[in-house]
Order: sequence, then C-alpha cells, then structure tokens
Amino acid sequence: MPDLIERSLETALTNCCRVGEISIRRIDGGGFIVSHCDDRGRDDLQRFQNPEEAAEIARYDDAGNYRPLKTVPNLCHGWRLELVDLTKLRRALDYFYPGRLAMFAAWKENRLTTTPLRKTLTRQSGMYRVASKISDEQINDLVGNFCRSNGGCLRTILWKRDESAAVPSTKLPSDKFDASHGQALSPRSATPATTAPVIPLLCQEACSLLVAECRKVVKMTNDE
Amino acid sequence: MSNNARALLIVGHGSTVNPDSSAPTLAHAAEIRRRKVFADVECAFWKEEPSLRDAIFLFDPEAAREVYVVPNFISEGYFTQTVIPRELELNGRSTKRPNGQVWKYCEPVGNHPLVTELLLQRAREIAPGVPETETSLLIVAHGTDLNENSAAAAKREAEKIRALGKYADVLNVYMEEAPLVAGWRKLTKSPNVVVVPFFISDGLHSYEDIPVLLGIAKEKSTSNCISAGGEIFQRNPYKIDNRSLFYAPSIGTDPRFADIIVAQVNLFDDAFSGIILAQTENFDSKS
Repeated sequence: MPDLIERSLETALTNCCRVGEISIRRIDGGGFIVSHCDDRGRDDLQRFQNPEEAAEIARYDDAGNYRPLKTVPNLCHGWRLELVDLTKLRRALDYFYPGRLAMFAAWKENRLTTTPLRKTLTRQSGMYRVASKISDEQINDLVGNFCRSNGGCLRTILWKRDESAAVPSTKLPSDKFDASHGQALSPRSATPATTAPVIPLLCQEACSLLVAECRKVVKMTNDE
Repeated sequence: MSNNARALLIVGHGSTVNPDSSAPTLAHAAEIRRRKVFADVECAFWKEEPSLRDAIFLFDPEAAREVYVVPNFISEGYFTQTVIPRELELNGRSTKRPNGQVWKYCEPVGNHPLVTELLLQRAREIAPGVPETETSLLIVAHGTDLNENSAAAAKREAEKIRALGKYADVLNVYMEEAPLVAGWRKLTKSPNVVVVPFFISDGLHSYEDIPVLLGIAKEKSTSNCISAGGEIFQRNPYKIDNRSLFYAPSIGTDPRFADIIVAQVNLFDDAFSGIILAQTENFDSKS
C-alpha cells in the first residue's frame, strides 16, 4: 500500500507536472519520465532507470560544481530518468529535493509547523550562536537576496521573521510566502512563472545555509 | 511491535563543500531500505537536506509509531550530545511526540563493537595476502577536535586490535597532534604498513591531507582533487624506502556500516526496551 507521501504525490500529480525545475510525465502503461523542465523535447538525453541515480544527477550543476542546497535553481541538464512506478518516482524526487515531498504531505495534513527565523537563530550554539545578533534590516536584505527564486532558492517560505509574524523580507514577492504557489522558473528564463501548477517546495524553517549566512553578516558587521 | 511500524532515521553531518560527505549515509540508507526491515528509512543532515528540523516531519505518524535515530558519527561528542537532541527535540533516550510517535535515540555507529571487526576486515582487504605479523596498522584520526571524542574512540579501537596480538604493531596517529601521521616511517619498523582513516566519510582529509602527510601525494594539487580523490586508494601498495604502504578509504565508507546501523537499533532494544516500556506506561497513566 502506498504510504502517506506517495498518496499525497499521487493526488498532486492529477493536476501538477512540475516540481522545482523538474518536469514529470506519465507514460502509457504506467511509469513516469522525469527530466529537467528545460530539456523537454530533446532527444539526446542520457537515460537512467534507477532512482538512486538521481542522487548523482542532483549532486553537481552543469559546470560540475557541488550543489549543497538542492533547491537552488541550478539543476544540471541533459538527463532523463525513467521510473516504473510511483514508489520509484517518490524516491527519485526525494534525491532531487530531499525532504520536500514529506513537508508537502505534512502541510496537506495540517501537521507542518513553522519556526520563525529569530527562534531558529536563538537556538544556535557554538560558532553559530553569534548569528542571532543580525538586525531586522540585515535579515530583510539577506533573505531578499539569498532566498530569491530567481537564482537563490525555489522554496516557498512559510516561516516568519519573528513572533510578530512579519515576513522575513519585503524584497520578495508575496507569492514567495504563499504555500499554494510553487516557485518555478519558466524554461531558459530567469523570470518566475508560477501560473502553471507546480508542487511547492515548502520551507517551514530556515536552512543551515541561511543560518550560516546570518552569521557571516554579523561577523562582517563586527569587523567593520 | 511489527517491523511495519518501525522507522529508521540515519543522521549524518553532511557538508556544504564536500560532495562525498553524505554519500556513505545515503548509501547505507538505500541498502537498509532494500532489506525491508523498517517501514521507512530516511536520512537527515546538519549541513545538507533533509535538515534535522525537516526530520521531525519525515515520518507518517500513523504508519511509523517508532522512529529509531542512529547518528552516523564516529564517536560521541558535541553533535550527538548537543546538536542532534536539540534539533530533533529529543529529551532523552526515548521521546514521545504529541502525536504518539516514539523516537528512540541510539548510540552513534562508532560506538558499536562491530567497528573493531570492520577495521580488521578492511585492513585485511586492502593488503590481501600480506602477513599481519609483518605489518603495522595505523589508525588515523583528526586530533584536537573541539568537543569531539573521535581521537579517544580511535585509541580505544587500536587498543582492542593490539590486544588481539595479530599485527606487528597497532598505532594511533593524528593529523594535528602527536604522534603525527607524517612520522610513520619512524613510528613503524615492519616491512608493511596499512593506514586506515578513522572517519565517517571520505573528503579533503582522506583524499589529500593524509596522502600528503604520508608522502604518497604531492601538496595541494591544482586539479579538482575531491572529485578525483578516489584514485589515491587504487594505487596500493606504495613502495617507499623498500617498504609497502597500503592506504584505505575512510572506515565509514565501508558498505558493512549498514549492518552496524541496524545493530545499533538492536542494541538499543536490548538495552532499553524494558525500561522505556515502563516509563511510557508510567507516562500514559499520568496523562
């Protein structure tokens, strides 16, 4: 029996065929073909069948650089993954966007709780303890740049700046904070195109990379 | 409780710069998933995705009533004692969530007695047919790790292997404290030397730093050493001063670490099941 995440994915696929930069196509007789959305229509793609191979595909960008944050819109091109069933599709998508399908399923069930950035920063210890000293203005600038869909991160931000429920950055469009909107880029374009239904990559709490960036900002301020 | 209600979370450190840091953890998870002994097997990382905070939502509370958390760390330390419990909101060996899901916090893989056996196996495999009585085994740890006990764990393993009396010598060496790995020529007398890094994954230390210290690679190559790093393990033995040096990948990359992860779950059940059942019943009767 499919688990909760597979059931939630199956339901979402009735009207979505995109998640992040990935295009998902059902094939006759069952199964799925996934590829980079820019690569639809290309017939020279390298073919893969094993969902575990998604981990390798997702590891480096087109230039061969390591991708520590998989929701950065720099997924490499030139591949096509053929998956025989929903279980394998779910596993592959878990390598492309680790954990995001589970967050989506939890959100659909009203189980997903969010954590304000200030609470995340206050919780830090060791070398990251200093990150909590970042100002609201600095958060506004940092999140506006680091998390922007165009070149930053394709997640939809659900967390607030602090307990006041303020959005972390006024520099981002309102749909960046709307869970019903997936962040996607139109093919070969830097312009966000959120009109087509996409499965959103939900962000319920700031990632460790953003925490590290907050620390950097504080350190730079202290050095000035 | 049937295996169908048990899930496994393997926690790794991960890295924002080393693409190979999470690879062993992902591979162990895939192997354990293939065995179908848990309803679900997931990974979470401090520096990669899914994050430790994501992990709280990874498991369906209806399907997975128990989640075993196994840190894929070489020793106890700051991460296993402070960071992981804090980020996963664990309040002891066993934590009952408001949804009834019970999270069981197991010992890190490096603490399991099977690690000693694995070190022995790896040493034999990297130098097949080489008599152990004519071989020195060097276990390399970082040393000077802040709040980490990896050096102590490496020392414990060396003592256990030394006590077996199989090898001519068994030594702990370190990258940043004495006895230094760079001093291997003087530290060992045997014609053969086997070097095993006591790390959870390969990366800059095992691909480049230790080979440079051993004298089997040149200083900081300009090429992408990380992606080409695995080649260093393919050229054994290295002939230096009429001696043979065999250099192994980090111990945590061994596929048999998957067995150790499962063994830590079993060890948890053996050690705590009775105690935790009593605590849970006590908790339930009060609530």
